[in-house]
Amino acid sequence: MSGTKYAFAVAAIKSMESSLLTRTEIDRLINSTSPSEKQAVLASSDTGSLEDTWKMIRGYAPDDKTLDILLYKNDFHNLKAALKAIMSDRDPADYFIKPANIDTELIVNAINTKEFETLPDYMRDAAAEAYELITRTLDGQLSDSLIDRAALLAMQKGADKSGSEFMKRYAEYMTVTSDIKTAYRCAKMNKPRRFMENAICGSSALDGEMLINAAMSGLEGLFSFLDSSSYSEPSALLKESPARFEKWCDDIIMELAETSRFKTFGSEPLAAFYIAKEAEIKNLRILSVCAESGTDKETITERMRKLYV
Amino acid sequence: MTNGLILAIIGAAIASLLAGIGSAKGVGLVGEAAAGVVSVDPSKFSKVLVLELLPGTQGLYGLLISFIILTRTGLLSGNPAELSVTQGLAFLIGALPIGIVGLLSALAQGRTAAAGVGITAKKPEHNSKGIIMAAMVETYAILALLISVLIINNIAV
Repeated sequence: MSGTKYAFAVAAIKSMESSLLTRTEIDRLINSTSPSEKQAVLASSDTGSLEDTWKMIRGYAPDDKTLDILLYKNDFHNLKAALKAIMSDRDPADYFIKPANIDTELIVNAINTKEFETLPDYMRDAAAEAYELITRTLDGQLSDSLIDRAALLAMQKGADKSGSEFMKRYAEYMTVTSDIKTAYRCAKMNKPRRFMENAICGSSALDGEMLINAAMSGLEGLFSFLDSSSYSEPSALLKESPARFEKWCDDIIMELAETSRFKTFGSEPLAAFYIAKEAEIKNLRILSVCAESGTDKETITERMRKLYV
Repeated sequence: MTNGLILAIIGAAIASLLAGIGSAKGVGLVGEAAAGVVSVDPSKFSKVLVLELLPGTQGLYGLLISFIILTRTGLLSGNPAELSVTQGLAFLIGALPIGIVGLLSALAQGRTAAAGVGITAKKPEHNSKGIIMAAMVETYAILALLISVLIINNIAV
C-alpha cells in the first residue's frame, strides 16, 4: 500500500486538474484578437500564481520533504540574488522569487552575519563557499555557477535520499539540460577548463568530465559529442536555435510529469501538478511577450510548451 | 467445550477478522481519496460514496460465514455441538477462503475504487466506469464466499 498516504491529496489535486489551461484554450488565446476574448478564456481557468499553487499543494500534501526538491532551484536562485544584492549594496527583495522552501530573510541574515549554519543542510556549504568566492574575487559569474552546480547536486542528493524514482529522474533531467546549456555557453565563450569544472555538475546520464572535454574542444566538438550520446535530439535543436533547445528542456520535464498522470497514490501527481502550473504560467508569459512584440501566430504556437492536460 | 469446537470458533473469528480488516482498510483508503475530491467539489459526494462502499462488502461476507459457522455448531442457539477435531478443522478450513480472499480482495478493491475516485474527480460523467472496474474485483470475493458456504454447509455435524 505504498504511497497511499497521498490518497486524499492526489484526489483533491486531480479535481483541480480541470482548472488547468488546455491546448484548445491556449490556441484560443493565441488566435484571440481582443482583450475581452482573452479574458473570457482566462476566466474559465484558475490562473493563480505559482506561489498560491504551491501553498495549496502543501496544504493538501502530508508533511514530506520529497516535494521540496521542486523548489531547490528557487532557493538557490534566491541565494544568488541575495549575495549579489548585498555585495552591490542593493535591496535583494526585488530579485527574490517565490515560492521557495527557505525564508529569504534567513538567507539574507545568514550572509550578513556569516552564520551559514543557520541555513538548511543542502545549502549551507554552497552558501559559505559562494560567499568566500565572491568576496575574494568579486566575480559574480563565478559564484553564480558555483551556486547553480550546488543546486543541481542538492537536487540529486535530495532525490536519492527521498527514494522517489520521479524525483531522481527530475533531478537527472534538470542536471542534463543545465549542463548542456552551460557547456554550450562555455564553448561559445571559450571559457577556461577551471570555470567549466566549477559550473558543470555531471550525472549518471551525462558524464560531466566528458562534457567538459567536449566543450573544451569548441562548439563543433561539443555537438559531435552530444550527437554520439543519447542527446542527439537536443543537440540538433541547439544547433538550430537555443530557443528550441529551451523548449525541449521544458518539454522533457513535462513528459516526466505526464508519467504520473494516471497514478492514484504517491507524491508524483502533486509534483506533476506543480510542474504543469509552471508550464502554464510560462506559456502565458510567452504569449504576453509575443503579443507585445507583435510575433506571428505560427511562431507563438511553435514556442508554446507542452501542456499537462 | 471440545477441541473441535474451539477450532470452529477460531474459523468463525478468522472469517470476520481478516475480511473485516481488509474492508476497513479498503473503505478507509477510498474514504481518504473521496474526502480529497469532496474538499474541492462537495457536489461529488454522492458519486464518490458508491465507490467508497464497494470494498466494504468483504467484511459482510466474513460476518455471514462467521454466523453460519456459529449457527451450524449450535453456538448461537446455546446448544454447542460436540465436534471432533476433524470436524472443527473442517470448519476452520471452510472459513479460510473468505478470510484470506476477503482481506486481499478488499485491499485491491480499495486501490481500484480510489483510482475510480480519480475518474470522478476529473470526469464525473464517467463515474460509472470507475464503479464497474472496482466491482470486477468483487467477483473473487463472491467466489471465495461461495466456496466457504459450500464447505461449511456440507460438514456433517
